[in-house]
Order: sequence, then structure tokens, then C-alpha cells
Amino acid sequence: MGRYALQRLLGVIPLLFVVSVLVFLFIHLIPGDPARLIAGKDATLDEIQGIQRQLGLDQPLWRQYIDYMGNTLRGDLGNSIRSGLPVTDLLGSSIMPTVWLTLLSMAWALIIGLLIGMVSAVYHNRWPDYVGTLVSISGMSIPGFWLGLVLIQVFSVELGWVPTGGVDTWRSYIMPSLTLGAGIMSMIARYSRSSMLETMREDYVRTARAKGLREYLVVGRHALRNSLIQVVTVAGLQFGFLLGGSVMVETVFSIPGIGRLLVDSILYRDYTVIQALLLIFAAQFILINLLVDLLYGVLNPKIRYS
Amino acid sequence: MKTKRKFWLSFMLLVIVAVIAAGCGSNSNNNGAASGGSSSASPSQTTETSSGASGKGITIAINTNIITLDPHNASDTHSISAARTMYEGLLGFDENMNLIPVLASDYKISDDGLTYTFTLRDNVKFHDGTDFNSAAVKANIDRILDEKNNLRLRKSFLKVAKVETPDDKTVVFTLSEPYNAFLNKVAMAGMISPKAIQEEGADIAKKPVGTGPFVFKDWTQGDRLVVEKNPNYWQQGLPKVASVTFRSVPENGSRIAMLKTGEADFIYPMPTEQVSQVEGDKNITIDKTESTIVRYVTLNTTKKPFDDVKVRQALNYAIDKDAYIKVVKSGLGVKLNSTMSSKTQYYSEQPGYDYDPEKAKQLLADAGYPNGFNAEIWGENDSETIKGMQFIQQQLAQIGVKLDVKSMEGGTLSDMINSAKTPEESKIQMWYVSWSPSSGDADGATRGLFSSSMFPPAGSNTAYYKNDNVDKWIEDANKATDPEKAKSIYADIQKTIWQDAPWMFMGVDQIISGSRSNLSGVKVFPDGSINVLNAEVK
Repeated sequence: MGRYALQRLLGVIPLLFVVSVLVFLFIHLIPGDPARLIAGKDATLDEIQGIQRQLGLDQPLWRQYIDYMGNTLRGDLGNSIRSGLPVTDLLGSSIMPTVWLTLLSMAWALIIGLLIGMVSAVYHNRWPDYVGTLVSISGMSIPGFWLGLVLIQVFSVELGWVPTGGVDTWRSYIMPSLTLGAGIMSMIARYSRSSMLETMREDYVRTARAKGLREYLVVGRHALRNSLIQVVTVAGLQFGFLLGGSVMVETVFSIPGIGRLLVDSILYRDYTVIQALLLIFAAQFILINLLVDLLYGVLNPKIRYS
Repeated sequence: MKTKRKFWLSFMLLVIVAVIAAGCGSNSNNNGAASGGSSSASPSQTTETSSGASGKGITIAINTNIITLDPHNASDTHSISAARTMYEGLLGFDENMNLIPVLASDYKISDDGLTYTFTLRDNVKFHDGTDFNSAAVKANIDRILDEKNNLRLRKSFLKVAKVETPDDKTVVFTLSEPYNAFLNKVAMAGMISPKAIQEEGADIAKKPVGTGPFVFKDWTQGDRLVVEKNPNYWQQGLPKVASVTFRSVPENGSRIAMLKTGEADFIYPMPTEQVSQVEGDKNITIDKTESTIVRYVTLNTTKKPFDDVKVRQALNYAIDKDAYIKVVKSGLGVKLNSTMSSKTQYYSEQPGYDYDPEKAKQLLADAGYPNGFNAEIWGENDSETIKGMQFIQQQLAQIGVKLDVKSMEGGTLSDMINSAKTPEESKIQMWYVSWSPSSGDADGATRGLFSSSMFPPAGSNTAYYKNDNVDKWIEDANKATDPEKAKSIYADIQKTIWQDAPWMFMGVDQIISGSRSNLSGVKVFPDGSINVLNAEVK
């Protein structure tokens, strides 16, 4: 398994290289000139050309790519085109709020989602199942934007329990992680329910029951572990998406996270920031996928890597 | 089996309760670390500034991020507002965009309009303790003019031929040609401590050192800017609050919620659709002022059918502007009755273009379009702009003009407009857009929009409007040294453009801000910048 992991990690390098080329091309091919967007409406042509020269945007594309790659390999992500601040500063200040938000949302979504899924499967087609289904369907279909604003209205404006947003205290994270986790919790509940139902029909579950094991041992030890494989796949993917930042939740709760940084950067064609962010997202996804693959083996030792 | 199930159910319930309890517990643990994590991003925890009622500090929620704190490079209003808490220019603006002396106590302009002599105020010090004097002014102008720095303000000072400092308190600017808007440009140039310019270099954008009422404390882009009272401020008794925190809160509903809970003492912009909702609340005060932001539709005067002045006038008669203000601007705005807002320098009101669809149809028929025509209108893709375009579409349909509404993302739209290098290549027909002169001057509200040297991509004259008189008057007005003369030239310019109708003249935005009732003195100026000098919490 160690060797497999190492091989996969080495495979990341050419993959990231390809991603960097694609990202670079895509960004430079979308219409919109960053120099013009930064300079503002009343800019003179001289001024715009000055900015283009300063940023190297007047160079041919291949030249710009080589410069960019050279700097990146030296660990220099450059400065934001729009604000002139170092990209590392911008990333540094916006990555932590997103990471905390992701971890908290995933944590509660996994715990509650799995519980609902288990209860629903065990009490298949009886009232706990119906309640579980109701909760997860609502969680999935309520728009996060609306949920966020309702939470703010109730818990901040009416009750005054938590701040409306920001990242000042741990209490600021409660409502955003509830909002962000709701959909994921529901998805995990649905997946774990169906996967659990399937496992419960397996021979080894019948055997376990037949040999007189207590029901909670049958469910907890035999069925749950095997049905987790699907859940891990879904959760891993969601985790990757969340680390990319949620524009919606970050906007509603005024969280200075990665999602808002990305959208603002795209609006102003802030090439350096977009490139850095997209490369990081790609690396995150590749690593999380690797972790998920490795987790399969932990959950089901029959799975072998080669 | 039944008992087993029952046991199982109660077991599950127990687990759920335990997990929730544990979840809450681990929440607080995690979050202890979380606040640690965020505090490493923003070194100072500034919870004390969040409540204005304590008289310690105030919080202002704004809708976008502050981009830079470099007063010479800021081009968006919020960055300008932020920089002005810490920086001051030789001159400044009052709440009607009139010029007032700030770091200069007096100024004289020579009769030929080429020499501006400023007398500087005594006993002003930068935040780093160095003296504000004529050498400092010269250092700032040198920084602005240095081509290498490529600062947004450079274009405003290109006519400065030399800066002399005969003594410590006197600065003499000599211009290469007369420039009527020069004083407005001077008011835009905040003075940075020369020592800090030298020591910080480009980092000055992150660590401002000025002479203003507030001193820089902490800034995390996307989250907050905190500035603290300058105890040595040259105006006695000011400022009256201990600190000001600007927080960027992009979502309208969240900004309102912060105002209601008191987390924010002042919000701008106040979302128009929410004004009526909080108007009865005695804790909240809504303030409305007319802005310098004008909204209009440019008509490409080089393309058929817009090359005919009758068609352009017809379109102006076809719009019910009262309905426009009511429907599109939620009643919060006024009709645009010139080429600029009444808050812009040298504004002159123009009569006419009252809603008259019959007259519009007649004019269209006279121009040879009795059955109207088809055209495209472009605009950005925010909901208010789309609403505006749909309103125009519906109004023009009444006179037989069928519009195709094309809303585009800002960068794409800018490319579509500026990729045409000549008027012949231009694809644009109608563009619904807004403009605000950055320094409140008439030149800024005219040249870029109506001078024939400003066809895209050089400028924003997307009507491709060319009138030789107007071109000449714009230059004349710029060279006029007598304000009365400049005023009369600009009156001619506005009158001519109004009759030529290269635009559909739509409206002037109102600036709407919300404030906690115990806060006074925070003002949004007509250019959209927030002034906190006189902020006071009762």
C-alpha cells in the first residue's frame, strides 16, 4: 500500500503540470482585459497600456506562461493584478476560514447523516425511516441561500444568540456550517441508507444474525463498515468541493474565504490569483481522491492495490 | 424480536443524543482553535469595536472589498473612502462636492491659470511623527508622476510641469497649460509621509501613514479594515470615536441584519428594496442624498437608425422617466435632466424630453421609421441593470421599437466594446450604463463621454458622438481660469449635447445609507465615498 501511495503521489506531478497549462490557457482565453478592468472606466489608453506592460500582458502567451511557471516553481506566486498584494497573503488570509468551515460542516454532516441513514435502513419503511427521509429530502431541497438568511433572521436578529457573520469568534461559524452542511448531511443520509439496505440483505448479515449476534453488533460491526464505501466516495468528493470554498455561504455570512476570493478574482480577471487558486484546488482534489482510494482498503481489506 | 427492536430504538436515540452532545463539545473545541486560526489571519481581535453604543468605536458595513489603501492608486469608491480616513489632500470635498481647504490653508491661482500657489497649514504631522511640509508635497507629486509606479492618479497630474518649494510652507505648481479641473485633482491626492514612502516602497498600500484623523491599525482584505483615532490630529476635538472598522458584507440581507442587531452602526449601500421595511424602526435612520452617478443609454450616432437626431430625440420622448424611477429604482432617484448630476461642478439644468409617446412616434415617422425598427441594447448582468433594460424595452415597444436585451458579464462587455478600433468596426448600438466623475469635476463628467478623441478604445464615448463645437468647448472650458466663464462654457456644452441627444437620459441615483440612530456625523458624499471625520456616538 505504501508503494502504491508513493506511485500515485509521483503521478500527481505530471497531472498538475497539465492542469497548469489548461488553467493558464482558459483564463487567458476568456474575454476581458484585466488592465482595462483595473484601470477603471475613466482610464486613458496610455494608462491601460502602461498596466499591460507592467504586468507583462503585452508579451506573447507562451512567454507569459514560461514566466509564470518559472516563478511558480521558485515558489513565487506573484502579486494580485488588481490590488498589488502578494497572492500568498491573499491565500493565507482566506484559506483558514474556508478550511474551518469545511471541517465543521463535514463533521456534523457525516455524524448526523450516517445516523439518519442507519436508522432509516434498520427501520426500513417504518416511521423512523419516514422521518429520516423527510429530514434528508428537506435538507437537500432547501436552497442554502434562503436557509442562511432565515437562520440570520431568527438566531441573530430576533434572538441575538450568534453574530450575523464574520469570523470573530467560534460562534460565527455555527450558522454557516449548519447551512453548508445541510445538503451534504442529506446526501450522506440517502447514500448510507440505500447502501446499508443493500448490505443488510447480504449473506454474511444473515449469518451474523443466525449465530445470535445482538442486532446492534450486526449493524454496527458487519453492515455499517461495508456500507461505508459508497459514503466515503461521496463524502470525499464533497470535501473537495467544500475546500474550494462556497461562494454562497461565504457571501451570506460575510466570511472572507476562498470562494469569494475566487469569484472576485474572476470578475476582475485577476490572472495570478485565479491561477494560484485553481492549482491549489486541483492538488486538493487529487490528494483527496488518493485518500479515498486508500480508505477503501481500510474499510474492505479484500480490496488490493497494485 | 419486538423487545429487541425496542431496545435497538432506545439505543439509537441514546447514540444520537450522545453524538449531538459530543458534537457540541467538539464544536467548542474545534472552534476555540478556529478563532485562533482566524486570528492568525487578522492579528487583532477587534470585538470591542463592534458595539458602537459603548462609545468606543464604530463599525461600517460596505458591500465590496477594499482593494488598496494607496491613496494615489485607489480607483474604487470604497478604497477611496478607506484611504481618506488616514490621508488628507491639500484640498478636500464637502458634502456637496464643493472644494474646501484641508492641508493647505490657502491657495492662489495666477491670471494665466498656469501657476497654483498653496500655503500649507502649520503644525501638521504625519502619523510617524515627521513634519508635513512643502518637501513632503513635492515628494508625493514626484511619486504620482513617476512612470515606473504606474499609479491611477498619474493621469490627473500630467499637466504639472514643475513643483517648487520656495519655503517650508509654500508649494508652487506650474502647469504646462491651463487646467480648470486641477483643484479637484489636487483634492484627490492624499499626502503620504515621505519617510514611509521611502521605507515601505510598494508596501505603503498595506501600511498607510498619512496625516488624517485616523491611524492605521489592521487590514485583512475581504474581511475588515480597522483604523484608530489619531490622538495628535491637527483639528482640535476630532475625531470623536475611538476607532472605525470597515467590514465587507457583500450580501444585502446580511448588511441589513447587521444594522438591525447593532453589529454595524452604519451600512452603505442600503439595499433599496429594504428601505420601506426598516423605515418605522426607531433605532435605524435612513439617509438619502443625490449622487453624481448618472444612468443613461448611449446611442451609436454612427450607425443607422441612430445617426438621425430625430430618432434619438424620439427615444428620449418615449421613456416615462417617473415610471422608470419608480419601477427600476424603487422610487429612490431623480430624473436626469442634463448630461451630469446636479451635484457635479458646473451643472446646468436642461428643459424638455417630457414623456410624450405621440411626439416620439411622429419624430420616428419624420425620420422615415413610421413602423419603428429593431435594435440591440447591451448592459451588465446584475439584476438592477437587467430590470432597467427590460423597462426600456417595454417602453420603446410602445412606439414600435423592438429591443433585444443582451446582458453580459462586465469583462466580456468591456471586450465587446473596446475590440472595435474605429467607429466603423463598432458593433454597439445601445448601452445602458452609469457614470460618475471620480473627482466631481465637470471635465471628468464630459470629456471621456462626449469628446471625439474618446471613442473606444481610448475612452467611453460609446455614442461615437462628434460635435466640433463641443470638442472645442471642452478644451476651452479646461483652459478657462475664471469659474464664471467655465460655467457658461459648460452650460453651452450641456445644452448642445442635450439637443443632439447622443444618449437616452435616464436618471440620477440616490445614495442611500442606513445608520443606527445613536450615531451621527457619518456621511456618504455624492461621489459615494463615506466620510467619518465627524462621526459621534450619543
